[in-house]
Amino acid sequence: MRRITMWFLATIAVVVLLFSYRTSTGPDSSPSAGTLGGANAPGVGTATPVDPGTSAGTVARSGSATVADGPAVQTKRGRVQVQAKISGGRITDIMPLTVPSDNNRSRDINKKAVPQLRAEALAAQSAHIDAVSGATLTSDGYTESLQAALDGAHFQAKP
Amino acid sequence: MTGKAQAAGAAAMPVRTAAWSWWADLIASAGAFSVLIVVALWVRGGGVQDLRGWAAGLTSLGRLTGLVAADLLLIQVLLMARVPWIERTYGQDRLARWHRVVGFVSFDLLLAHIVLITIGYAATDGASVTSEAWTLVTTYPGVLLAVGGTAALTMVVLTSLRASRRRLRYETWHLLHLYAYLGVGLVLPHQLWTGADFTGSRAATAYWWTAYIACAGAVVAFRLGLPAWRTLRYRLTVAAVVPEAPGVHSIYMRGRHLDQLPARAGQFFQWRFLSGPGWSRGHPYSLSAVPRDDTLRITVRSRGEGSEKVSEFQPGTRVLIEGPYGRLTAARRTAPRVSMIASGIGITPLRTLLEELPYAPGEATLLYRARSAEDLVFRQELERLSADRGLRVEYLLGPRGRKDSWLPAGFGDDARALLNLVPDIAQHDVFVCGPDEWMQSVVRAARQAGVPPERIHLERFTW
Repeated sequence: MRRITMWFLATIAVVVLLFSYRTSTGPDSSPSAGTLGGANAPGVGTATPVDPGTSAGTVARSGSATVADGPAVQTKRGRVQVQAKISGGRITDIMPLTVPSDNNRSRDINKKAVPQLRAEALAAQSAHIDAVSGATLTSDGYTESLQAALDGAHFQAKP
Repeated sequence: MTGKAQAAGAAAMPVRTAAWSWWADLIASAGAFSVLIVVALWVRGGGVQDLRGWAAGLTSLGRLTGLVAADLLLIQVLLMARVPWIERTYGQDRLARWHRVVGFVSFDLLLAHIVLITIGYAATDGASVTSEAWTLVTTYPGVLLAVGGTAALTMVVLTSLRASRRRLRYETWHLLHLYAYLGVGLVLPHQLWTGADFTGSRAATAYWWTAYIACAGAVVAFRLGLPAWRTLRYRLTVAAVVPEAPGVHSIYMRGRHLDQLPARAGQFFQWRFLSGPGWSRGHPYSLSAVPRDDTLRITVRSRGEGSEKVSEFQPGTRVLIEGPYGRLTAARRTAPRVSMIASGIGITPLRTLLEELPYAPGEATLLYRARSAEDLVFRQELERLSADRGLRVEYLLGPRGRKDSWLPAGFGDDARALLNLVPDIAQHDVFVCGPDEWMQSVVRAARQAGVPPERIHLERFTW
């Protein structure tokens, strides 16, 4: 076979193989990639299902426990919405209801940033926390939604 | 000299140098503007604020280098797309040199983009660089394709470094160079699907789609479509091959509708003769006579691969053309008096110009450098122009003189010799054609003799 034919065939073969890889035919839109670990954890049942169109928060009380949804905050990379659980005057848990996940970079960033923001907020017992480096947009949305949730639940940080 | 050609020359006399420079400014501004748009979109997307943190900063810089690299890649493609307005404004020789520089710059930016993004992402995610690179390639949309595209572009750049370029046959180098199109095509998807500046803003999406489509359109229309159409329309075939001097042959070609071929004296085509192996190499040869209704002529010195077989071309051999290209035409003329300075086979476009240009007896001078009298080409034709139209011809014969001199040995100082040959050269348009280094020394001498740079006209064929 002539060399030019071999080059031609090899080039076609490489391009075909490149395109047969799953990331090569379009943005990954499998739904499983969008959910975050923890978001579906048990115990969040009291939360009202969130209509993605609304940005207002809701508050649900049962005994001493309060579950407050912050509003969905629109950032440049997508919506951020959190749910705060308050019990005995303390923030006991923060769940992400929505975080930007329409592309891989957002997913990767938020997989690391969201738990970090949660830990910071729980430690500080407030929404006044530092942004996570590299996830400024998510951090801003997170603290804004959290602050609104806490305000809605009339939560006051204990000194 | 036909009446028709003379009329064509006279019609071109109103000089439009100012229009040329406006075009040049306009096109260069468009290029600079495209880079500006890309940078502005990056700033708009928060690129500057991200520079604060070091992980986000690296990512942001990586994004910037990637965007500018992509923009320059497209400019690269456009520079070589043979777009008539761009060709006419700058000339292919200058475009080819810029193409080379822009090519290396965009490739360096591309490498910087890859390194910065990988390190920046790794730092943000707290992962090692190697595992981050693996994640990027295997899970981010279109990134594997981009790796393939980068490999293709790397091959193109490596084969274009001077050291490797010299070792490769032209045909091999040229075929490998076509992988640049593949590379540019393969890097596009990751920009669309993963690039934050792409997915985030509608203005950015619109800009990039427009840029990519315009480039692809220019290549298809002007690089492929127009030459194919002209080849089919004019149907050139070899009519005769005639020896002119040792190693020099004229090729006469016949075709259809040649009166409508938009070629001017001083222009060249890329020629491909379907005469057997090696046909795929295009050769830039100037027309050596003003095109007539039924005949074109080029004159070729046999040197290097390919042109040896010129003498064996059979009448009837089909000819593929790309062109006409080149701006060494009558349109460059600014003054009534004109000097043509040729060396060796460089006589071809100048002889054609001397046929087409209007001039009164004594207004035109030809200085023709050759090793010996028997190496002179077109001697009879030049003598006829001299008798019929009052062209002054001076042959400068002899072996090479001093290093860097455009004259044979024994002529003394370069600039003074030029003034002795043409005392009023400072008032002339000076057209120069010959080997690269030789032309440089002619330009030096002409500048010293008082010729303003805008009156010196030349075009290079080696790049």
